[in-house]
Amino acid sequence: MWKNSSLCCVLALAILCLTSLICSQEIGSPGEPQNLKCIMHNLHKMICTWDVSSKGRYGQTDFCYTTREKRVEIPVSESSITVSITTNSIYGAAFGTKKFAIHKKDISFVPLTPHILSLTPDFSTSTLNLKWSDNGSVFPYGLDAFWQIEILRKETMEKVTQVTYHSKLTHENTILSWNWTSDMPLECTSHYAKIRCYINVTDFVGHKDWSDWSPVEKVLGKDTEPNGSGVFPQDTVVAVGSDVTICCVHAEDQQIKRMTYGPEIYPLIHLSSRSSAIRVINASASDTSGTNVVCTLSQDEMDGTVLFVGYAPDTPQNLSCETSNFLIIKCTWKPGRPSGLYGKRRTKYSLLERISGKNVSCEVNEMNRERVCGFPVLADQKTYSFTLGVSNPIGQTESSLLVDLTQRVHPKTPEKLTVSGNSSTNVHLHWYINGSFTEIRLLCQIEISSGHSEQKLHNVSMPGGKFSTYTAQLNALHPYTKYQFRVRCSAADHFWRWSDWSRVEEHTTLEAPPARGPDVWRERSPSGRSLKIFWKPLTLSEANGKIVSHEVSCYLLDTLLEYKEVTEPSNSTEIKLGKNDCVISIVAKNHAGSSPPSKITSVELPSDNVKTERAVALGNGIYISWSSYPNVTCGYIVKWCHSSGSEPCSVDWQKFPSNTTDAVMKSALFRPGVRYNFSLYGCKSSGYQLLKNITGYMKELPPKRAPNFTVEETSSDSILVKWEDIPVEDCQGFLEGYRLSFAKGEKDALKPRLSESGNPELKVKNITDLTKKSLRILDLQGKTSYQLDLQAYTAGGVSPPNSLYVVTKEDCKIKDTFYPEIPNPENSKALQFQKNICEGNKTLKTLEMNPCTPNSVEVVETQSAAPKIEDTEMMSPAADTTVPEDGSDSENENHVVVSYCPPIIEEEISNPSMDEPVGSSQVVYIDIQSMYQPQIKAEEEPEIDLVTTAGYKPQMQLPISALKIESRSATEEESDKTAGYRPQANTNAWNMDTPDSPGSVESSNENASFGSPCSINSRQFLIPPKDDEDSPKPTNTGWSFTHFFQNKPND
Amino acid sequence: NRRMCHTTAPGIACACGVSQHPAVYPSHTRKGVACPQGVAQPPAVSCAAGPSGSLPAGGSLNYLGPPFNEPDFNPPRLAWAERVPSATVDFDLWRGLTDNARLAANYRAYSRLLCYLRGLDGQAGTAELRHSLGHFCSSLQGLVVSIAGVMSSLGYPLPAGTAAAGPPAPAGAPASPNDFLKKMDDFWLLKELQTWLWRSAKDFNRLKKKVPPAVVTLRLEAQGF
Repeated sequence: MWKNSSLCCVLALAILCLTSLICSQEIGSPGEPQNLKCIMHNLHKMICTWDVSSKGRYGQTDFCYTTREKRVEIPVSESSITVSITTNSIYGAAFGTKKFAIHKKDISFVPLTPHILSLTPDFSTSTLNLKWSDNGSVFPYGLDAFWQIEILRKETMEKVTQVTYHSKLTHENTILSWNWTSDMPLECTSHYAKIRCYINVTDFVGHKDWSDWSPVEKVLGKDTEPNGSGVFPQDTVVAVGSDVTICCVHAEDQQIKRMTYGPEIYPLIHLSSRSSAIRVINASASDTSGTNVVCTLSQDEMDGTVLFVGYAPDTPQNLSCETSNFLIIKCTWKPGRPSGLYGKRRTKYSLLERISGKNVSCEVNEMNRERVCGFPVLADQKTYSFTLGVSNPIGQTESSLLVDLTQRVHPKTPEKLTVSGNSSTNVHLHWYINGSFTEIRLLCQIEISSGHSEQKLHNVSMPGGKFSTYTAQLNALHPYTKYQFRVRCSAADHFWRWSDWSRVEEHTTLEAPPARGPDVWRERSPSGRSLKIFWKPLTLSEANGKIVSHEVSCYLLDTLLEYKEVTEPSNSTEIKLGKNDCVISIVAKNHAGSSPPSKITSVELPSDNVKTERAVALGNGIYISWSSYPNVTCGYIVKWCHSSGSEPCSVDWQKFPSNTTDAVMKSALFRPGVRYNFSLYGCKSSGYQLLKNITGYMKELPPKRAPNFTVEETSSDSILVKWEDIPVEDCQGFLEGYRLSFAKGEKDALKPRLSESGNPELKVKNITDLTKKSLRILDLQGKTSYQLDLQAYTAGGVSPPNSLYVVTKEDCKIKDTFYPEIPNPENSKALQFQKNICEGNKTLKTLEMNPCTPNSVEVVETQSAAPKIEDTEMMSPAADTTVPEDGSDSENENHVVVSYCPPIIEEEISNPSMDEPVGSSQVVYIDIQSMYQPQIKAEEEPEIDLVTTAGYKPQMQLPISALKIESRSATEEESDKTAGYRPQANTNAWNMDTPDSPGSVESSNENASFGSPCSINSRQFLIPPKDDEDSPKPTNTGWSFTHFFQNKPND
Repeated sequence: NRRMCHTTAPGIACACGVSQHPAVYPSHTRKGVACPQGVAQPPAVSCAAGPSGSLPAGGSLNYLGPPFNEPDFNPPRLAWAERVPSATVDFDLWRGLTDNARLAANYRAYSRLLCYLRGLDGQAGTAELRHSLGHFCSSLQGLVVSIAGVMSSLGYPLPAGTAAAGPPAPAGAPASPNDFLKKMDDFWLLKELQTWLWRSAKDFNRLKKKVPPAVVTLRLEAQGF
């Protein structure tokens, strides 16, 4: 810039001036100037100042220019210059003169102090705007200017901020502007601003410095206004997470008691005597109505403001536009995170279409999660470029979408659906769609539903219309069917979305004649004089309407022998044919007409050697097979009968083609365990012939019960048992054999079933010869009680057992005992005990009677568990290890046989329900001796040593081993009652329920038996009375004491 | 009064949440809610004769936020709020009035309160609240009509310048200068409304004892409730 030509000219002038000045200077005189300093404010002139050292002398200093100041502006020279300053008195006398040499490096450059043009507040945004001129016209173009601005606050003018602002000088005076946003509302207190500058004159070699600060400009706070008050900022919206300062300005005579933000009290920041503030850090989102800031003042006054803290709008997601009628484009989007701002501060949306430049503002329903905005369809415009603008007081965003409208058609729901038709198979559907679809084709989908078939969809494409009614025809419907139709539509060429389904419209097609004749079978009556004709009802899809009747005709050649019309719901009829045969024709009729006839001949060809075979259960069916019969030309018929209770069985049949040789017969009516008899007929040209019978089960089950069996004969080492057949209904399968299990054992209700007892001596006989109805068990021990279990079995399993207890005969002379009739048994001759086989017995023998075949019978009922399959070995594998708990069956123990009783075996079998496979009856054969050690149930039998009771003691030691303590007291009482003379037996085991001793013994104690002298034929006393037989009690049935005296032989 | 005291705009953005959104305003289940219906159904009139002390519009005050929902909050009554008909007439004085005068005062008060409430619709923050406000205004309208019906059945003339079907709108309710003052106005409107509802309930109960209920009931039913 120093090379600038005009500047050179100025410098030449300066030199000239200074040269002339030099001629006039006076050097060394008193009052000479000192400390010459030169500074530049611009690049044209420098200002030199100096001091005068003379004391009290004032005069005029000669320079080039005469000046009364100690300052002079002189042009800037290109090189160093010498300046001579002469100080003259006011009268012209020179006090002193001094020469100074001014070098360029000694000159300072200090810009002129900038001047603030304006400082303008924007209270709503707490922003200050500062304007000043850069005074650039005096500087060359392009110099860097730096502006230091200071903002001060409060009356004490505390510095708030200082910033440096940079600009380029343009050789013109430019007004510069700078904004500053306060973190405190400007109303809260006064704010001040000042500015200074630094111009970086690059070629200047001297010292460059900042200008002086400009005078301070101020913006006064409300606290300086006489009536200024309020809480600031007011109704402001800020972003979540912001730091906010809120102040309360009040009157001079008031004090702030507290300031709250929401529910919290905040510490006050003193601003002035009339203003204080609080500082909220990291503000959280407000409630719907904003966050209240309350300034509570003295004198019960308060003021406040509401701060709305929320979020900038989220970018809309899933923006999508479509039309349902080509009138309005509906754009939807998801708004994303809620802004937390409501009412007038809510997020606002506008839809700009860039191609047309059209803009619409969107009124959105904030209750709806998805936002919707409508835009009108524009004439002749297919493509739309949408920009969704989103804004709220905190921020703004947008989302864009380009759509071809013909590819975004989502038609409105079809309305006014109607169905018309006067046919059994065709209908017409009509519906209306509200919209103009002339530019596209529509694809409509008709849903066809009926109760009889699967739902079907029928698509139909059609040109779109303008607010039109559309029609479609549906063919191939089924007659007499109630259909439900509904329809929906979409664009055919560019599928976008289906419309919603229309409402459902119902229509029932008309009836049509039945599609085919019924399936027919016939049977001759046993007498052969009439023919019963059966037919199966047609399915709904075959009937084509409501079947009202069947016409049955019987033709002999072309002669109609008989005609019958059988009305529904009957599906059989009978024709009296005599010995004739005819062709039967059956036609099903509904209101629309008749079916084609079904024909069948009545001719039954004779059959020889019709065999019965067994069928095989297979899955849920019954598998039957047959060999191919050469003369069967028109198929096979398998016929069977369903029996349900007492009603006559209903005939059913199934037809098979001629090439079939097996079938799995299935029916919902088949039940497991029920035997079905099938008859296989062959259809020959001349008639039907019974080929064979087949019998089978869908599933075999175990027999419901075991056969009834009895002991025919007993010897000392064998027992002959005999059993009956089981009725077929109880077999529940094909009987495969019987299983006879036996082992030593006496009746004991608590004993497990023989097969499950683990008895080591258990032997099992498996009888597979079903013709055999008896079995002799050999190699038994004499005078031993045996338990026999008989079971039947099928492929489905083993029946519950029937049980018998049998005591084999003694193989020697046996003494029996009885109770003496006399008080002193020792005096009785009858009490001459003999040494015999029973010597080893610990118990005493009583009266000896004449030797006879000892026997007695006790019949009990026990419940047994379900049977398990047994091995067929004669000896149980467990025989060696398991010892029976009940020692009563031991040979040398208590079996004292009453010799007066005939060898009659009686049994009583209570008949459990056939449906109770777990129940069985046991027939127990015991001898009289066992009555003395009765097989009493544990809970019935007291654990008591009767020998110790007072008075007459029974002359037997009862080896009762399995008695329970809890029964003891009752038994003792019983003993007391019978103190004195007592039968020498365990009377507790007797049933004393006689007219003479009513209720003397608990009725359940029925196992006790008592023998009395009687005829060998007099066994009837052993049979319980009928009343007892009928007793519902499942407990053992024995004999009451009175039976010995009251029962009479009746055989 | 200070500058902020000359606000006159109605600003209850919340009076309506009362009966319709107990979930939104969980604290509010009190009597005032049912009172508009209570008048329509005489047996329920007694509902308002229950305990006092908590704001019937407490839920709405919750909406205003703290400190408006604090029990001891008692801000100065500002200029606009002073135009809201106050039920704070001396109790003895009130009891000393005739039935006619009390009914007429009720009628005037509710007509006016209804006017202010109706003015709030556009200012309610959320659509939910606007919906509730609409419902509440309908209830209050029912109450006004009911009072007119009772007065008519008792042979009292309606106060001049009011109509049962539609109370006159307040003449130009100026907007509050800021949201806080609007909330203050809302607060007082709610508070007065509550006080009126309590007072009315007592009045109607008293009236019910004096007047054969059948007359009132029949008349009220005839009003379409």
